[in-house]
Amino acid sequence: MNKAVTKEEKAMRRHMGLRATRAISNTVIHILLIVISIVWLIPFIFITLQSFRIENAMPVGYVIPHQWGIDNYINLFKSDFPKWYLNTFIVAVVTALIQTIIVLCMSYTLSRFRFKMRKPLMRFMLILGMFPGMLTMIILYRVLADIGLTQANAVPGLILVYVASSGMGYYVSKGFFDTIPKSLDEAARVDGASRAQVLTRIILPLSKPIVIYTILTAFMAPWGDFVFARYVSFGTSSGMNVAVGMYNWLNNDMITTRYTMFCAGGVIVAIPVAILFMCLQKYYVEGVTGGAVKG
Amino acid sequence: MKTYSELEYLRLSKWQKFWYKFARFFCVVIPNGIKNGVFAIGRFFKKLGLGIAHECKDIVTTFIYGDWKTKVSYLVMGFGCIARGQILRGILFFLFEGIFIAYMILYGGYWLGMLPSLGKLGPAEEYDEVLDTFVVKYHDNSFRILLYGVLTIFFIIAFIYTWRVNIKQNKIAEGIIKSGKKLKSGKDDLRSLVDDNFHKTLLALPLTGIIVFTVLPIIFMILVAFTNYDGTHNGYTNNLFHWVGMDNFNTILSWDVGTGGSVQSYAATFGEILLWTLIWAFFATFTNYFLGMFVAMMINKKGIRFKKGFRTILVLTIAIPQFISLLYVSKMFSLNGIVNGILKDLGWIKDAIDFWGSTANNGLLARVMVIVLNIWIGIPYLMLIATGILMNIPQDLYESSKIDGAGAWKQYTKITLPYMLFITGPYLLTSFTSNMNNFNVIYLLTGGAPTNAAASAASGSVGYTDLLITWLFKITTGAESQYNLASVIGILVFIAVAVISLVVYGVLPSVKNEEDFQ
Amino acid sequence: MASVKLTKVKKIYDNKVVAVHDFDLEIKDKEFVVFVGPSGCGKSTTLRMIAGLEDISEGTIEIDGVVVNDLQPKDRDIAMVFQNYALYPHMTVYDNIAFSLRLQKVPEDVIYEKVTNAAQILGITDYLLRKPRALSGGQRQRVAIGRAMVRNSKVFLMDEPLSNLDAKLRNQMRAEIILLRQKLDTTFVYVTHDQTEAMTLGDRIVIMKDGYIMQVGTPTEVFEMPANLFVAEFIGAPKMNIMKTTLTKEGDKYYVNPFGVKIEVDGEKGAALASRGISGCDVTLGVRPEHITLAKEGGIPCTLEVNEMMGSELHLHVFTEDGTRIIVRVPTIGLEASEREALVAGQKVNITFSGKVMHFFDPKTEENLLCDKKPDDEDIGQE
Repeated sequence: MNKAVTKEEKAMRRHMGLRATRAISNTVIHILLIVISIVWLIPFIFITLQSFRIENAMPVGYVIPHQWGIDNYINLFKSDFPKWYLNTFIVAVVTALIQTIIVLCMSYTLSRFRFKMRKPLMRFMLILGMFPGMLTMIILYRVLADIGLTQANAVPGLILVYVASSGMGYYVSKGFFDTIPKSLDEAARVDGASRAQVLTRIILPLSKPIVIYTILTAFMAPWGDFVFARYVSFGTSSGMNVAVGMYNWLNNDMITTRYTMFCAGGVIVAIPVAILFMCLQKYYVEGVTGGAVKG
Repeated sequence: MKTYSELEYLRLSKWQKFWYKFARFFCVVIPNGIKNGVFAIGRFFKKLGLGIAHECKDIVTTFIYGDWKTKVSYLVMGFGCIARGQILRGILFFLFEGIFIAYMILYGGYWLGMLPSLGKLGPAEEYDEVLDTFVVKYHDNSFRILLYGVLTIFFIIAFIYTWRVNIKQNKIAEGIIKSGKKLKSGKDDLRSLVDDNFHKTLLALPLTGIIVFTVLPIIFMILVAFTNYDGTHNGYTNNLFHWVGMDNFNTILSWDVGTGGSVQSYAATFGEILLWTLIWAFFATFTNYFLGMFVAMMINKKGIRFKKGFRTILVLTIAIPQFISLLYVSKMFSLNGIVNGILKDLGWIKDAIDFWGSTANNGLLARVMVIVLNIWIGIPYLMLIATGILMNIPQDLYESSKIDGAGAWKQYTKITLPYMLFITGPYLLTSFTSNMNNFNVIYLLTGGAPTNAAASAASGSVGYTDLLITWLFKITTGAESQYNLASVIGILVFIAVAVISLVVYGVLPSVKNEEDFQ
Repeated sequence: MASVKLTKVKKIYDNKVVAVHDFDLEIKDKEFVVFVGPSGCGKSTTLRMIAGLEDISEGTIEIDGVVVNDLQPKDRDIAMVFQNYALYPHMTVYDNIAFSLRLQKVPEDVIYEKVTNAAQILGITDYLLRKPRALSGGQRQRVAIGRAMVRNSKVFLMDEPLSNLDAKLRNQMRAEIILLRQKLDTTFVYVTHDQTEAMTLGDRIVIMKDGYIMQVGTPTEVFEMPANLFVAEFIGAPKMNIMKTTLTKEGDKYYVNPFGVKIEVDGEKGAALASRGISGCDVTLGVRPEHITLAKEGGIPCTLEVNEMMGSELHLHVFTEDGTRIIVRVPTIGLEASEREALVAGQKVNITFSGKVMHFFDPKTEENLLCDKKPDDEDIGQE
């Protein structure tokens, strides 16, 4: 806490009271935090500024645009970008809903039921998680291709794959369910509730934070996925999501004409996600901290 | 090694204690961990064997002592259930058997029969009567044979299991009837699915998804490691692929300098990349961990204002999709990017710094850069976690340590840090292993650059910042598409992750002494 | 309103630990039975098996003549109060109490009637619209009881319902449970680790240890005739004093010889000993602290170690010449001020007790020498 203490300060400390020492260290920390904040914000400020630069479209060595304008945004909407945006949005919304249901089913079961296969099942999933998921993409792509859910039909294909394995991500919400006293379940069962009613009447109403956390993380993930999405939508612009589409703009042959458009697209993608995230930040923090503590 | 009693240990000097613990860790703890692991595997197989033997015995005895309804059920699944009035169960069993037999006759038999060879007839030029010319015709498809062959085996296992359940049901039903009680009706069965057996209802969908979309592909890819599936043997349009045994493992793990002027063997390349992967994972994990904790402590310090504001600014980086922020940052540091531009304007440098292209010192600059930029990505996340835990540290620990005369630094090393490490032990482990597989940061920032010329000659375009996972990706997407080699690497990555996890998990204090801080 | 019958009930956990051994008990209709024992004795497990929250490994449990082993808790017609109340945090007090009725699809106006009625009895009418976290411990306890009350179920189970309350509130709630019992007039099974609660509430007490029943009896029976040393020490506070000594028979009379002081055994007890054909042997002698008096002369010489002033009485911790510690309860009302002031640490005192109040235990089996063994209790204490 008392980092960045110079010799002079040490000398001064001996002469000053506790309060003065604290004031100095607090000032130092304030300055440090402001510097950190600036460093963390710089890329976002830069990207926003560059999205309004219209004198040329390639990466340049200065920050402030020489000529301002919204041409990049207009071009953006003339390109395939709106289609990609819609694709991603649909995938994100549907995935968020289904994935949340699956994760909740899984984690509630593993938290509340004591059946014979429970421990082996959890261990099995732990081991499964150690396989690099990258490998399975090849086969998943071929399977999707076999049932016709690639290229132009990439959206349902992506949803299917995202949702299918989501049961493995039960850790955080199981950790949350574990903190709800079991005696509540028992009281409800004595009161005449079936297991299903315990879930709907008691547990779910108490699990608002974790439900929101699950929805939020499930909603955010598809915006950033481009490896698998690129496989699935390979070569077909209408099946791409924003990440795949915009990633291509930074290829060597396109970067000189699309760089500022990439910046504009980045701003448009980031704003709604960031706003949503900021509103639900409280729940996200709760989920993250809980998850880490539980391991 | 010498073992001290507790009282003897207490009389050791600080250094002796340290060495004692250190030596114990390697001479006792790790060997014990490995021993226990081996024993656990042995016990597992013993249990499995005994279980199967017991099941077989039960199947035979049920047949011998069962009534005729039970005996018929051995052939016609669900017969016993229907005969005893459990219509719903019976019909389900019977339907399943019907579907299974139909599938096996129509498709399963073919896939299963082709599995040992992975296809006999490849594409060939054949005479087409309609077109009156020779055209290429496609026949067997190795990829599908492997995929559906595995699926068929899954189906057969499921069938055997269901058959076993069907027999067990008969046995139980006989017992219930003998004791004069009533059998459960179909209505009871349905009701129990939301109550007694609610967990089965809840797990059905998620587990099906996991089996089909995770387990099946993983088994498939493990099998691919034993074939010659690659760009020139894609199994359908050019050549079929076949089983090749351990050949791929031999390739990856061989020190032979390959033909065609290669200067580095696969094994050397693999070792080089593995080493960098471990170094990367270590730094990526611990720089984030300590700096994140540091930032959290600064923000949470008494008397700091705008706590919420600082936190929000940092958290913003989590909210923005990584492909935007990482790609943008990557371009900021490119040759003609903003950073070089500003540095030039300031007159600090004359020529642009080639952050991503410099191969000096094995691409040291790029390697340091990815670690530093990863801090930018990771700190907000760690800051959140640390904040949550820091607030949970009982304040009286600090108060009592203050009375005992501890300063800020002592408080940190004696209270905050042990508490944090204790609570976050498992988290550190998982974040280490997930950093080993951190595809996004490396791929979006550098794409593996700068190119490692020596290694690349042996196996695709390897760069100095490539992790095993990005290398694996490159191998599958390059012109040669060596899926077989990629699978081998995947298996090796899995082994590395599993071994690290097992060893560390075995010695984690929060796993062993759960009560220490509670 | 039902009887509960447990036959050879056994609980074995997955790790082969046996929590309850062959538990046999018949609880009569409208009886108030208390399970009491130290933690880990299996009392809660037994209660939870009756409730259906734990599987029954062996044996049967019948409620009103119906075997309930395979029934879900909701189908057993029981009500239960939990140790930590288990109030649903997201529901108001009213909704908490109404929850079970709503699950039964009882019409809302009937629910209103029942809930307000219960609230009136428990004095929580003013809090019906509050959430549980806005209530004090005592109020939460009342809500938990109210929730169980409205169900009019056959059996009322209570799992340490008072242990989370402070001492004063506990006494008050104890009295209220007695009143409640009179109003509800149903079968109660009550679990506690506190012997005072057990003594004051129970028609019958089941004292358990390590999964075994030590004794079943009315409060008077277990107090006056503890079946074994464990029960003797568990029931009564401060606990019974234990002395190793010998029993001798001289003619018709029996004598004990604690710390070299010869005390005659009372005639009635002597007759009982004689009828069992006991002559002379080593015994473990038990005497309750309230039955020991300070003697002016004679008696057992002791040294006072600690003097606890409890208000109406003094608890004197003394030790004899061979170091055995003994507790004596002395009513303050009989003491002169000067006498009281003289009782300071290090003071020599003499203690004595009459032949009427002695309990004799076999030093080996720890069984009470005078307690009639019931035939079905044979295996108790032999493990």
